[in-house]
Amino acid sequence: MSVRFGYTILYVPDVVATVSFYETAFGLSRRFVHESNLYAEMETGPTALAFAGETMAEMNGFAVRANRKADLAGGFEIALVCSAPHEAYEKAVSAGAAPVKPPEEKPWGQVVGYVRDLNGCLVELCSAMPA
Amino acid sequence: MTLGRYTELPHLADANAGIEAVWASVSRGEGTYRVLPDGRCDIILRFTLNAPPNSELMPIVTGPTTGFYDVALEPGSAFVGVRLRPGYFQRILGLEPIRLKSGALVGEAAKNKWPDLAALCAPASDQQELAGRLVQFVRKRDADSDFEVEPLSRNTISALHASGGRLRIAELADMHGLSERTVRRIFLRATGVSPKAFAAIIQFHRALRLLRDHHLSPADAAFEAGFADQSHMTRVFQRMGGFSPARLPEVTLVTISQ
Repeated sequence: MSVRFGYTILYVPDVVATVSFYETAFGLSRRFVHESNLYAEMETGPTALAFAGETMAEMNGFAVRANRKADLAGGFEIALVCSAPHEAYEKAVSAGAAPVKPPEEKPWGQVVGYVRDLNGCLVELCSAMPA
Repeated sequence: MTLGRYTELPHLADANAGIEAVWASVSRGEGTYRVLPDGRCDIILRFTLNAPPNSELMPIVTGPTTGFYDVALEPGSAFVGVRLRPGYFQRILGLEPIRLKSGALVGEAAKNKWPDLAALCAPASDQQELAGRLVQFVRKRDADSDFEVEPLSRNTISALHASGGRLRIAELADMHGLSERTVRRIFLRATGVSPKAFAAIIQFHRALRLLRDHHLSPADAAFEAGFADQSHMTRVFQRMGGFSPARLPEVTLVTISQ
């Protein structure tokens, strides 16, 4: 038996709006959006970042706490490694991401900032870990 | 078209026009059919299945219910219906769903209220034709309606659905930056029932699926569905379905999802 990390799926109220937001605010690009508009994957290499409509949770028989901007963020984050985190932060905020913490340099040399996306999910914008 | 007791016709559903499901049901024998509360309103055509063309069609518009009820059936009693998404009852029929709470407008009463229902009752060659007519009826009224379904209403109801009815109303209000009073108004306007009653319906449906489709034990189902304990779940099943979780009867569980 082998196992590998396949993908992360965020359940969101509007898949198409979320994909557009991740393109505009974070500069990712879409891999595909299913014709039902209930599932989409971003172009993030072998481990996909995916979005599914909240209604899919119910259809699949499980229950989730919906992600909402006005709610406390869920206990997870999406970390995006950027070539220029300060610039990425400004771009995200001007596209409508909620500012949480502007990028700052950590003792280990990495630059790290946080915003919340259109659905209230926590997104880290950081530089690559120094070699 | 051969139909069992209750069949959904997924290719006819049209979420954009407010149609959550199109369904048909035919009674093979005499007896009663138990309708479980689903927090939805339906537009239904009832007829007797004999040699086509089907005639003596009767329109029925049902309001939201919070408990089960039984419908008496004779052999050949048949129904074709559309189930409307929350928020669309008023958009399509111009009436707040709360006005029909735990009730229905049947036959002449429905035709008096909505005269264009009469055209749906002309003889038809089969149920497919009736289903098509119902869909066209809803689509036309959707296109002509100037009553908008508020996005906030959609989002709030969607979050409660996604949680399997487990969010407390205070939490639901907080996470959308609303007061509890506003959430209550949203649910009453969109569904005709209070948010608490709507949550209970979703939780009941989910628990029923966990037992019937996921084959969980009653203890595991009660835990996952968010009941305080198994006896709490049992009380809710008695009240909403009239049966015990330990002995599930053959009931129809309709598709409700936002």
